[in-house]
Amino acid sequence: MSELLTRRHGLEFLLAELGGSRMADPGASVTIRGDLGHINLRGRASDAGFLPPVEKLLGQALPIEPNTVSGERHQVFWLGPDEWLIVTPAAGALELAERLRQATSGTHASVNDISGGQIALMLQGAECRELLAKGCALDLHPSVFAAGDCAQSGLARANVLLALMDATPTFMIVVRRSFSDYLCRWLAHAGSDVGIAFRDA
Amino acid sequence: MQPQRLPTGGRIDRSKPLIFRFDGRKFEGYAGDTLASALLANGVSIVGRSFKLRRPRGIVGGGAEEPNAIMQIGKGAHAQPNLRATQVELYDGLVARATKGWPGARFDLGAINDAFGKVFSAGFYYKTFMRPKSWWHLYERVIRASAGFGRAPVEKDPDHYEHRNAHCDVLVAGGGPAGLAAALAAGQAGARVMLADEQNEFGGSLLGAKRNVGDAPAEEWLRRTIESLAALDNVTLLPRSTVFGYYDHNFLAIAERCTDHLPEADRAGVRQRLWRVRAKQVVLAQGAFERPLAFCNNDRPGVMLASAVSQYIRRYAVRPGRRAVVFTNNDSAYETALDLAEAGSSVVIVDSRAGGAGPLGERAAQAGISVIAGHVVTDVVGRRRVRGVQVAGWSGNPAYLVESSIRIDCDLVAMSGGWSPAVHLHSHAGGRNVWDAERHCFVPGETTQANVSAGSCNGTLSLRGCLREGNESGRAAASRCGFEAPDIELPSTSEGHENPLQPLWRVPADAEPERCPKQFLDYQNDTSVADIRLAVREGYRNVEHVKRYTALGFGTDQGKLGNINGMAVLAECLGKSIPEVGTTTFRPAYTPVTFGVGAGENVGDLYDPVRKTAIHEWHVAAGAPMENVGQWHRPWYFPRDNEDLHTAVARECQAARQSLGIMDASTLGKIDARGPDVVDFLERIYTHNVGTMKVGRCAYGIMLGEDGMVMDDGVMARVGEQRFYLTTTTGGAANVLAWLESWLQTEWPELEVFLTSLTDQFSTIAVVGPNSRRVLEKLGCSIDLDKDSFPFMTVRDAELGGYPVQLFRVSFSGELAFEINIDSSYALQMWKTVMAAGEEFGITPYGTETMHVLRAEKGFVIVGQDTDGSVTPVDLGMNWLLSKDKDFLGKRSLARPDCVRDDRKQLVGLLSPDNGTVLPEGTQLVETPDAPVPVPMCGHVTSSYMSACLGHPIALALVAGGRARKAETIYAALPGREPMPVTVTAPVFYDPKGERQHV
Repeated sequence: MSELLTRRHGLEFLLAELGGSRMADPGASVTIRGDLGHINLRGRASDAGFLPPVEKLLGQALPIEPNTVSGERHQVFWLGPDEWLIVTPAAGALELAERLRQATSGTHASVNDISGGQIALMLQGAECRELLAKGCALDLHPSVFAAGDCAQSGLARANVLLALMDATPTFMIVVRRSFSDYLCRWLAHAGSDVGIAFRDA
Repeated sequence: MQPQRLPTGGRIDRSKPLIFRFDGRKFEGYAGDTLASALLANGVSIVGRSFKLRRPRGIVGGGAEEPNAIMQIGKGAHAQPNLRATQVELYDGLVARATKGWPGARFDLGAINDAFGKVFSAGFYYKTFMRPKSWWHLYERVIRASAGFGRAPVEKDPDHYEHRNAHCDVLVAGGGPAGLAAALAAGQAGARVMLADEQNEFGGSLLGAKRNVGDAPAEEWLRRTIESLAALDNVTLLPRSTVFGYYDHNFLAIAERCTDHLPEADRAGVRQRLWRVRAKQVVLAQGAFERPLAFCNNDRPGVMLASAVSQYIRRYAVRPGRRAVVFTNNDSAYETALDLAEAGSSVVIVDSRAGGAGPLGERAAQAGISVIAGHVVTDVVGRRRVRGVQVAGWSGNPAYLVESSIRIDCDLVAMSGGWSPAVHLHSHAGGRNVWDAERHCFVPGETTQANVSAGSCNGTLSLRGCLREGNESGRAAASRCGFEAPDIELPSTSEGHENPLQPLWRVPADAEPERCPKQFLDYQNDTSVADIRLAVREGYRNVEHVKRYTALGFGTDQGKLGNINGMAVLAECLGKSIPEVGTTTFRPAYTPVTFGVGAGENVGDLYDPVRKTAIHEWHVAAGAPMENVGQWHRPWYFPRDNEDLHTAVARECQAARQSLGIMDASTLGKIDARGPDVVDFLERIYTHNVGTMKVGRCAYGIMLGEDGMVMDDGVMARVGEQRFYLTTTTGGAANVLAWLESWLQTEWPELEVFLTSLTDQFSTIAVVGPNSRRVLEKLGCSIDLDKDSFPFMTVRDAELGGYPVQLFRVSFSGELAFEINIDSSYALQMWKTVMAAGEEFGITPYGTETMHVLRAEKGFVIVGQDTDGSVTPVDLGMNWLLSKDKDFLGKRSLARPDCVRDDRKQLVGLLSPDNGTVLPEGTQLVETPDAPVPVPMCGHVTSSYMSACLGHPIALALVAGGRARKAETIYAALPGREPMPVTVTAPVFYDPKGERQHV
């Protein structure tokens, strides 16, 4: 039944408000990826009842290296020694969460679909490092923060998960739903000097 | 037009004249001028008035050390107070006002103060305005009006400021010869380098210098060096950028002025930018300040630092005087004499040293400059402008002069008392300063962070030394970051040896300092030699105390100009050495920074994040005013047809009690807790018995701090054998999760429990009132909702109106109620669906105010409103929640003697006999209406509302021993009114048996 329902990412109103700021060649662009689902996964990497069945089900290894992201089909972000975020197409997220739950039912693990609780924003463009530097204290120089790196940090006054998905560069910013309106307004303001455009995926 | 402008030379553009105003008068300068150089070019002698004595003052320095030319720049909202004219780049249309002197600096009514100069000594304010005490508010108004340097604009700041985080291997602070050499060495090695300089151009002392560096003129070397730096991708050049603070972990703050140098009409984009820099290595190359000399009337307009005189001649082609006396105790001022001679001024050098200067002395003689060695300037003639000086012979004994004085006519005194390295940033970073007995100055000592000082801020004054130290420190800094710099040959400089400086901290006069004209140490604060001596006579010994008593080094000065002379005079009075006396503490900011750059983009709508629920836009469209709850914006009430708050809340309350209300409760904190040890864990956290809860049951739970005080509360539900769903207060959500995680991770790591925040994942829609069951049934619910299948305080998974939801049968109103927990992606549709289905029942959305009234009628507390961190569950009457079968956090504290006192403040209800007055929240409660002042308080009102359902006001209060005082009368102290009698009652006003929520 739920597939028939329309998901709302919550930024629809803001997009309409910022719609007038579209420009031909912005220094940075933000794509709101409401089409992505999010699953919070917790378990111990050393647990034979956890890691092998999860990796088998996902068809890929979980990143064990701190602050890295891996995967093609599902993008998996290391959040802590026993915590990962799986970003996957929204349509299959509930089902994937259920299968993960079953696969880990025999051990101490936790699977929560949090697709409605956070949103992924893709930030691209020549000026996006300068834009992020206005609000993020991390060193995002390519020699320090490379493709495949992620970090939980602050952007402006919101907590975010920040990842460099490719060297184009494409950054993924994952922010809690309740902070997403604030964060997009901050991006629009901070990006006004380089030009910034917003669009829905 | 510009009488003191030289016909040629300087780094100004004579083809670009600029018009500006100072104190209402119109002047012309050139592009490349500072406000100070343009004022000097126009022959303006008086640029301000001194702080206390209102003596006329002129420009003394050439940079951050300038004490007198403190200006208000610009008008209206763009105005900036507190700027040194020496650091303000001239632009067309600039408007400046002196910040001291009324109606202006030239003619100042406050100058009368100078006639009473003896009265305005150190500690004047402390001694004069303390009595009678009741007059202080009168004094204060007058003192405040005459204090400070300029006025902050009252208009909203229209400009855009921003913050920028930056990381680098090597940050170089200061772009003079040492800084440039350091940046070049580190940059060429491949390190990520940032070079910041407070001026508009890099080059420092080499700007306008008439000397060679290597085989080329200095300016050519500068041009090539800056070009090389600009060509390096790994080097960021920041002109107009002041490194104003050096904090822990090699974190430095830089204020960049992006558009302040442009005419107001041409300014666009960011006005000022705060760079927050994390540097692996720091090279400090801020240079040194020339020291003034303390002789009588050394503050007369026309007395300047020698290096500043050279700077105005060379860099700005301005001749500050036609007949100059150069007064020095060291060789460097001889360069100034040569500059003056070349500019066509007549020059006499008065050198305190009997032996005079080294090779520079010979050059001066060749240039026809007469040198009076072994003499000092003792006094200045002239009031609004130097007209001459008194010169006397001196043998080096600080106590007396050896020869009667002669007068030399002049219009300029260029003084040099030696150099003080700018150790400010080194000191901010926690480094010590050590006295260099050979060079007679404090130099950077041990550092506590990864930084090194190079060049004249390290006490190395020669150009050769600056270039060498800069290069070496740049290479070393890069090397420590893993970058090896290529070997380069340093350019040669032609510098002869210099004769040593002769310490001269105060010039002897014909009489004791108290009996002769003032010898100023700190111009900006009117601190003289006599003031330091007075402070010592009055018992001050510590340098920090003397500073505060005499104001030495206050204001924008911050120890730049007068500090060392002041310390030395203090040392002399105390019979100690200068290092024994030490310096005062240098603190950020190095020069003043604007509030705008501090705030950056965190202003207006972006001041603090506004958290919005998934249903927020509906509330806005419905016209609900918003209330801040933590960072959340929650609808306060939903007015219909211009209703006011009270009318709307009354209507909303009645609807919820009589038919159907709906509320967005999404902001509650929500935590998924699961694992084999989750029961054990939660038993330790909550006060009630968790293990006995059956799956599907909900419980009201409270958690205590280790002090036994109520920390947070909320409904928690057992949704599986090893899985719980916890809710927290809106404001406490983040803290509670962090609190739980800290216990799990640091104290009880053996417990297998995972916590996940679901606050944003689930939206919560409370459907409240006697018709709530009917509306859910109407929507189509996959489970039976009757009271036996789905009793009070239970939770079920269900499908409601086609949406998967988690349904809670809980109530924060005392009515039959359901809370729908739904994926936030669908929450807005769900809300609209319930609204549509509820239409036939008159469904009424309500906000936080009605929620508060409904819960207060039931005596439900709000943690943080009815509690304040000093309230135990026993105080709240929640003994029934405290399990006797287990231990939990805070339990032991509840047995402390203070926690079992009978007269602790306890939660009660209050009713007023007049049935009309809603007591203000916070109202203090007293035992008797006519007790003598000070009246002892016996409690205070925590919650207070008009109850529409009951028809009278209700209040919750914390009252000492309150539970034993039911039906007693106490009094509410109301400002401006007679104390009002109120009756103590139980804290539950409505449906005390709780029947309505169980139906």
